[in-house]
Amino acid sequence: MQNQLEYLQSKLQNEPDLKYVLIASNWQTDFLRFYHSQTNYNISKSSTSLGVTLYKGRKSYRFSVDDPQKDKLDQALGLALSVIDSLPEDPDFVDVENENSLAPKREIVNNIAAIPLESKTRILAELAEAAKPFDFEIFGTFICNYSEHHLVNSNGLNKKAAVSPIYLEVKAVHNQSQVTVMETFGGDDFSLFNLADFKARLLNKIGYCSAETLDIEPGHYEVILAPRCLAEFVQYLSFGMSARALDQHSSFFEGKIDQKLFPDFVSITDDPTDPEMIRQDYGAEGHIYKPLKLIEKGVFRAFTCNNYYAHKTGLPKNGNTASCLKVDTGDKTLEELIGGVKRGLYISSLHYMNFINPVDTSLTGLTRDGTFLIENGKISKVVMSLRFTERIDRILNNVAALENKAYTIPFSENYGSFDVETVKAPHAHILDFNISSSTHTI
Amino acid sequence: MEHIIKNTIAKLNTPEIEFADVRISFTDYEDITFMNGSLRNFSSDLGSPAIGIRVLIAGCWGFAGAKNLDENKIDILISQAISNAKHGGKFMQKPVQFPAMKPTVAEYIHQPKINPFTMNRDEKVGYLQNLAQAIAPQGKIVHSYVSGEFMRQERYYANTEGSYSHSVFYSTLPVMLVAAAEGSAVQTRTWPGHMSAGRGGFELFYEQQFEQNTQRIIKEATDLLSAPTITEEKADIIIGNGHLALQLHESVGHATEADRIFGMEISYAGKTFIKPDMLGSFQYGSPLVNIYSDSSDVRGLGYHPLDDEGVPGKKVEIIRNGILKDQQTSRHIAHMLGLEPSSNMKASFADDYPLVRMTNFCLAPNQGSLEELIASTEKGYLLDFTKTWSIDDNRNNFQFTTEIGYQIKDGRIVGIVKEPTYFGITKDFWNACDAICGDEEWGFHGTFHCGKGEPGQSMQLSHGVAPARFRNINVSVKI
Repeated sequence: MQNQLEYLQSKLQNEPDLKYVLIASNWQTDFLRFYHSQTNYNISKSSTSLGVTLYKGRKSYRFSVDDPQKDKLDQALGLALSVIDSLPEDPDFVDVENENSLAPKREIVNNIAAIPLESKTRILAELAEAAKPFDFEIFGTFICNYSEHHLVNSNGLNKKAAVSPIYLEVKAVHNQSQVTVMETFGGDDFSLFNLADFKARLLNKIGYCSAETLDIEPGHYEVILAPRCLAEFVQYLSFGMSARALDQHSSFFEGKIDQKLFPDFVSITDDPTDPEMIRQDYGAEGHIYKPLKLIEKGVFRAFTCNNYYAHKTGLPKNGNTASCLKVDTGDKTLEELIGGVKRGLYISSLHYMNFINPVDTSLTGLTRDGTFLIENGKISKVVMSLRFTERIDRILNNVAALENKAYTIPFSENYGSFDVETVKAPHAHILDFNISSSTHTI
Repeated sequence: MEHIIKNTIAKLNTPEIEFADVRISFTDYEDITFMNGSLRNFSSDLGSPAIGIRVLIAGCWGFAGAKNLDENKIDILISQAISNAKHGGKFMQKPVQFPAMKPTVAEYIHQPKINPFTMNRDEKVGYLQNLAQAIAPQGKIVHSYVSGEFMRQERYYANTEGSYSHSVFYSTLPVMLVAAAEGSAVQTRTWPGHMSAGRGGFELFYEQQFEQNTQRIIKEATDLLSAPTITEEKADIIIGNGHLALQLHESVGHATEADRIFGMEISYAGKTFIKPDMLGSFQYGSPLVNIYSDSSDVRGLGYHPLDDEGVPGKKVEIIRNGILKDQQTSRHIAHMLGLEPSSNMKASFADDYPLVRMTNFCLAPNQGSLEELIASTEKGYLLDFTKTWSIDDNRNNFQFTTEIGYQIKDGRIVGIVKEPTYFGITKDFWNACDAICGDEEWGFHGTFHCGKGEPGQSMQLSHGVAPARFRNINVSVKI
């Protein structure tokens, strides 16, 4: 790929009127999907591509070449050069990225090689065996990706980055009742994975499932949100923290920089350096990706903003993409959080959320993979999956307490190119959470 | 290409491999997007190659895919697929089995009326620019875009049973949107909604009457800013085609993908409330409701001569007169359910693993025009153009918000409402259907972006629908 990149760069040196951004990418995945405590399918995939954006004045044209051999690059470049003059201008384009600093060097382990299929199936077989006596089977995915990106542009940027995320998601499903619980591991450092702990957490959750199952009426409930749920709400909230959303008038945060929006103990950072998460070195256009306080003690501090929108909106640019969100911890143990609820719900995971109106953060979604009733400070019963209709700003303003420990939660990005990112969050005690209907199913 | 794919199949015809198939695709893709009247993106990815090799060894699937067709690379992929199947087999209980099929050889070459890749580029860009300028920020409109996504895909399929197909398809996703704002209120309108994709080329922009609807969406988005919301608890609703396609997609289409019955999608897309013993007896909808999957209809995005495991395209009745009759299946799953395979195994690109996917999933028309249906509705709402969608992982509890609702009184539209939201339980909802319009209102509505599977795939598919009425539906959702 290095050769193709250099080849294209040398061709572009003959075009002094052009600005350009070139991104060479190698991507691989080893992907084991399992169901009913057995393999569903095993996949190996790989791709190499070269993405090119050319600018002539305020005119631009992008192309991508998969398996980029020289003849294909010549053909694609020839087409681009014949097209670009005839295109309309984008009056908001000023220049390509010029932030030239390099991220500190760090060793990137290729986890596809480090965690061979033998290891994956051995781990899964052990988890399946542990769940079996309780009449549970395991379903899920065990993924390792490895990708390398090399970005160069006409402002002299020349940056390389690699990432190798791991995503293990295990759902234990009861053979008769279909009651489901979930445990996950995510990150880029497999030495942090402890099979005994993982198994113990999964079995602990399976233990909650022996209680009776019931349906509950819609209404407002005190809830304990598992870290995955708080993480997902924060991800959705972060859509409005982008300069792009601001520019498109779809941001809750328009006109709210430095305003106090949430309680003091709500702080959210975009931190690409945490070794317990999937780390990132650069934003998509090559700007260095550094920790950025988004919400500080309830006050909104910053939009994520790339080079294009920095020129368009006047906001300071950064390399942040809200791909490494962290929610600060509180001061309660999980037992204290649950113990403080007289009658409420423990919600393990969310499903199919969608904004009703992103400007006021209203949305709807469902609970999934383990919803439990809390009575007198203890998890007492299994509850059918439920629909909620809420506003994220209301949820965060109804935080009563946060756990004193945070967990790394992986999310698979399943639209477009397959990728994995992590969010770090604690359990949260939320008041007055609006359950709008029941699904009547597990 | 026939030579490469058949050579590869020959290498897979070994005693240890019970079944294998090979797919090769070449994809041309172009995206043109204008934002606020200016060109924001013109991008292309032309001739993108992909190959996928799937093998079944000792009842376990292994797969390898890449975007490189070099012979050496193909040999590596064969080794990877075999290795993946063998390693996966160490974590197996019930081997995959299905009966052999007689081989089929097929070819289909589609030609659009206006080829988006060879038409005059200035004409193409100029047309979209004119639309973009017509809906550029003005009055209370603060944001707008016009977008055209164009795809040409050439696909080759071969398996160890001797089946082979070669096909070429063109598809287009045209859409435009305006957002109006006043204070903190923002309302959006799209045309022709989010299910606007179809089989064809640039002609879809003309057929879907974009130019004729620019002023309509500007006015409606602006009027929605000051429109009331629905106040009733329950109401009769007519759902227009711009949204009914998604209602069908979410609450029947995904629910009748039988891989969900067996938990193959639990880790991502979810399960289904349907159980095998419901087939033949479950009253899914009212007797007016007839729903079918038809991958043999060339008009829809879901047409194929063979699916991605060698089953010829076919029409399958899923719901007849309201009763659940069949499922969308793979060969493996059909065998487990005692059904004939329905020709629903599809992969987005050749280097993707095939999954049970909707193809052309349709609600059969009944009778009458939309005008007649409105005239026969004493009080209610016509809801159209999807804004928000959500359904649980068993496909039982859904909640939708549309961009606009048209209030109906005494058989006439008398005003609009903003953010009309309704929710329900799948079976109750389809049993509340008391009218479906006829052929004159029926048409295909498609998407490029149905997400399923891991690694994730975005599938192109179509829904044939005509507006339908549902009685006494919950329309009260408050925070």
